[in-house]
Amino acid sequence: MIKNVYGENLTSFTVKVRRQASPDSQSYWEAFNIPYQADLNVISVLQQIAKMSKNAKGESTTPVAWDCGCLEEVCGACTMVINGRVRQSCSALVDNILDENNDVLRLEPMSKFPVIRDLVVDRSRVFRALQKIKAWVPVDGYYDMGAGPKQDRKRQEQAYPLSECMSCGCCLEACPQYLKVETQRESDETDEQFEDRKNAEYDKNFVGAHAINQAMLFNSNPTGKMISGERLDALTDEGGIQICGNAQNCVAVCPKEIPLTTSIAKAGRAATIHKIKKFFDSNEK
Amino acid sequence: MDSSETNFFRKHEFLIRRLHSLSGLLPVGAYMIVHLLTNASILNGVESFQNLVYQIHSLGKILWIVEWGFIFLPLLFHAGFGVVIIMGSKSNTSQYSYVANWRYRMQRITGMVALLFIGFHVLHMHGWFHVGFWKTFAHAIGMAQFSPYNAASTAGEAMQSTILMPVFYFVGIAACVYHLANGVWTMGITWGVWTTPQAQKRATIACAGLGGFVMIVAISALVGFCTLDTDKAQEREIEMYQESVNVGRIIENEEKLSKPAQKKIKRERRRK
Amino acid sequence: MTKQRVAVIGGGLAGLSATMKLCELGIEVDLFSMVPVKRSHSVCAQGGINSCNDQTRQLGDSEWKHFDDTIYGGDFLNHQPPVMEMALWAPKVIDLMDRLGVPFNRTQEGFIDRRRFGGTLYKRTAFAGATTGQQLLYGLDEQVRRWESAGMVRKFEYWDFQGPVIGADGACCGVVAQDMTSMEIRSFPADVVIIASGGPGLIYGRSTMSMMCNGAAASRCFQAGAKYGNGEFIQVHPTAIPGADKLRLMSESARGEGGRVWVPRTAHDERSPQDIPDAERYYFLEERYPEYGNLVPRDIATREIFDICVNEGLSVEKNKLCVYLDLTHISKSELDRKLGGILDIYQKFQGVDPRVNPMKIFPAVHYSMGGLWADYERTADGGLVVGSPVNQQTSIENMYAIGECDYHYHGANRLGANSLLSCIFSGLFVAPGIQTRLESMSMPASEQSSTVFEKAVEKHQKRHDDLLAREKNDDNPYQIHEELGDVMTKAATVVRRNDQLSAAYEKIDELFERAQKCGLSDSGNWTNQNVLFTKALIDMFPLARTIVKGALQRDECRGAHYKPEFAMPALESEDEAGRLQEAEKWCDKFEANNKKWLKSTVATCGADGVPELEYEDVDTSLLPPRPRLYGLVGGEIIEKVWRGRIANTSPHPAAIT
Repeated sequence: MIKNVYGENLTSFTVKVRRQASPDSQSYWEAFNIPYQADLNVISVLQQIAKMSKNAKGESTTPVAWDCGCLEEVCGACTMVINGRVRQSCSALVDNILDENNDVLRLEPMSKFPVIRDLVVDRSRVFRALQKIKAWVPVDGYYDMGAGPKQDRKRQEQAYPLSECMSCGCCLEACPQYLKVETQRESDETDEQFEDRKNAEYDKNFVGAHAINQAMLFNSNPTGKMISGERLDALTDEGGIQICGNAQNCVAVCPKEIPLTTSIAKAGRAATIHKIKKFFDSNEK
Repeated sequence: MDSSETNFFRKHEFLIRRLHSLSGLLPVGAYMIVHLLTNASILNGVESFQNLVYQIHSLGKILWIVEWGFIFLPLLFHAGFGVVIIMGSKSNTSQYSYVANWRYRMQRITGMVALLFIGFHVLHMHGWFHVGFWKTFAHAIGMAQFSPYNAASTAGEAMQSTILMPVFYFVGIAACVYHLANGVWTMGITWGVWTTPQAQKRATIACAGLGGFVMIVAISALVGFCTLDTDKAQEREIEMYQESVNVGRIIENEEKLSKPAQKKIKRERRRK
Repeated sequence: MTKQRVAVIGGGLAGLSATMKLCELGIEVDLFSMVPVKRSHSVCAQGGINSCNDQTRQLGDSEWKHFDDTIYGGDFLNHQPPVMEMALWAPKVIDLMDRLGVPFNRTQEGFIDRRRFGGTLYKRTAFAGATTGQQLLYGLDEQVRRWESAGMVRKFEYWDFQGPVIGADGACCGVVAQDMTSMEIRSFPADVVIIASGGPGLIYGRSTMSMMCNGAAASRCFQAGAKYGNGEFIQVHPTAIPGADKLRLMSESARGEGGRVWVPRTAHDERSPQDIPDAERYYFLEERYPEYGNLVPRDIATREIFDICVNEGLSVEKNKLCVYLDLTHISKSELDRKLGGILDIYQKFQGVDPRVNPMKIFPAVHYSMGGLWADYERTADGGLVVGSPVNQQTSIENMYAIGECDYHYHGANRLGANSLLSCIFSGLFVAPGIQTRLESMSMPASEQSSTVFEKAVEKHQKRHDDLLAREKNDDNPYQIHEELGDVMTKAATVVRRNDQLSAAYEKIDELFERAQKCGLSDSGNWTNQNVLFTKALIDMFPLARTIVKGALQRDECRGAHYKPEFAMPALESEDEAGRLQEAEKWCDKFEANNKKWLKSTVATCGADGVPELEYEDVDTSLLPPRPRLYGLVGGEIIEKVWRGRIANTSPHPAAIT
């Protein structure tokens, strides 16, 4: 049982949520009182809020909007800023957070992505980055061609952790070099036009640690490496690896403990060699 | 929407950032180390330091090319683009107070401090531009203090002008040294020299060693100039000047002497 | 002629493999998902994916044996040709996933490593660390992203499927979906629609399934006329970590490495588990099954844990059903070496170190063997006709079902590491059939009269608007969902009793009435998760009813469906002759029961979501049914008798092997 500051058993605690009704409205804080139970996580707190639909003042309010999926920390959906630090809300245990922070729970949306509503943000840029760096193995097709090339156990052991990236966006939220990109829709635009403009805007800005890591993952795959040059071109394009400032927050906040900074440094090395080779060997202008 | 100029920067973003990274070490960082080593030679006495300055100024008419090509322009590029980089980032050490994040933030803070300090230092000693009216103006406000043929005495006087000056220089130099040492570390990651956390830890130790070494050199120079007997130094410099001109070691140029030294020489000539 | 398009609903393993294969065949796809497809529930699968392989082959394994294990594990309720085809494809599926870059664990020499899983004697299971499902999904997600870049796939992520559009000819010609952000409801013409929406775990409130596994998409097809098969077969995993929000899986390997299951002999003993002496602990699995101990088969472990908590009231906690799974007698270093990964999960989510304190676990709803009824075209030798447009087609023309939401492959009970296979296989296999179908079509859906689409949108828009216009009241959908989950979990999981099922059916009616009236706390029209949830909740009822009604009517025990009243008895006689006689009777009864119940339950949705059930013969043409006798007293004799009968009467040559 958790005790409050007066040493009494905690019967309830306060949750403050930074809410925002829509992308272009102002954000505000709303407080909720949640009865304390052991073994709560932030998701169950949000579920409770939805069920109560009353804030701390007793006024009725709308349920908080938030994203979640597997609740086991493998899908990457429920990322948010909890007491100032980005993390998955499913694995954020209320007991631990209350221990750290004087009995208050503060929930905020990620700040590097446009807010859609409350704690829901638009992370399409994360997936766009994967397109940009061609995070796939360029197989010929899906007919049966027998097994893939034999692979070193060591290579698998290095690749597996990189492959655990669930595109949750923690590394991007904590990165001081990764800034929010918000594209406003223009009234005369079609869906496709807006999408294209948004993607073009994303492509100009930093791809982020997760994408660099994926590029290194596929560049180490026996078939994937056949287009490693294309990936390095993408990584050294505008918004590429050069934006990294080596603050190394990415690796510190990664919920999957992926060696992101190692991938970044390896990408840096590959980019150096790639560019020098290209300068001296290539016929391109 | 984009002017062709910003397009150029965007298209060559990788190259420019890598050049920025490189310029921090070569030539800017390397120059800084040489500069501090030269200054630290003051501990050997006025002659040693003055001789090194003579050597630099023996370049004569091509000195400005070296100054602009290898020092000022790279420095301006490194500083200017550094400001652009800082503007494109958002520090968050209050939320994420990890050591590496603090190092990142300190790199930016020391960069800005170094920019201000070096700006002042060059004005204070060199005077920025050697153009008639500007030079007069700079002198009038107590800047452009350094005279190459009175190297030790003018530098010493500049340091001893107020008690705050050495303190200010210490802070400025410390910022530069941190910026260099930490910069070498991040450069190693950027270029892919050290990749794993363990290798980066080893590199941190090496870079801290480099920083410590440069800082010792810098403190030596500071102490040397702060404790210098400037009057004696000036006398010795005048002797050296006249002898050196006589044997053709340096090109005669009284402009490179300090005002009091020029006066003294004139007076001596009159007496003769 | 405008290009033909296929709409795929759901971006898990099945939906993505179908999408990728269709693109390869030059068919453009609109892919709809409530979540970014990379976050689909397939990521939760831990164990692995089965196939017979070069190594097991030399130990006597074959595709046939994989097929046999799957059918036997499924208690013969699976139609056999699709399972046969799947087993034949299994090695190819793993080869393909390997080529796509899935980081399968490797042997020293660089081959794909294998582990052994439940229900088989062979090391068939390929795995990638402890997150095989995630890795497989990513491999497919990456390929689909590649096609997306090439302009072959349009992704509609954060779009909620509202229902199919059915043309005047009764065939499916598109879908209606709702943008979960802007709440816009739109129709999308599609020449073929593939439903790959996964399982309906949320009907049980909390399960091991993800939060989007609400079964709504399947239910919406069901309500639009698609048939639903074997709904009552729901797999319950014996060991999961109960959480306030979700039940997280605790792998069977914890017991494999020596974990002991127990409860205090005194109900709700308040002492900490370490302070309870051995004599006051009830190691009920060890006492009740001295031979197997804690490693009794899954369904038995599940039933016993359930029984000890629900019927005997010996749950460790008063307000929560759970038993101890104790590893504390094993040294920490050994635990870290063998079970490190899964113990970390427990610690992460429970904040308690299972190396020091016993874990609290309880069975949890895990997988639905049942799903949308789907067809197939069999070949003479018992496989499927490649490229037949009938394969995986639901009872609505041009609508297909694949993955967990289709009822093929797992019969009455699913074997571990077979679900990933069935999802990828059905996705890959459906594509050539759809190509055939598209080639035979004369008019693309996009050129159909627009009124059918307008009407469909109108209908869903009205439903949406009516919900938003509801008066606020004290009842709310989350409360009703919790109650529905409780009812379903109590009546329709591990142990099923007719009285409880009847009562549950009535309770479901009552909850349905409430769901029709409950107020919404959010009446806005922007990212309104409240209204989306309410719709999903209302759509859970037809499936909940199908599950309960199916369970109520099926008076037998088969696979995951266990009714103690109808359990086959153990042999009691002490002497050989008596036993033999009993065994003969047992086999008579078994045969009679099969005659009556070896049938797929096929539900049709009637008015107001009330299901009508029919029973359909199961294709057992490849392998004749035989009794599942795990741990039954006298099992050897029954088996002997049964084998004798089969040898005399069976038309199946394969049965003797």
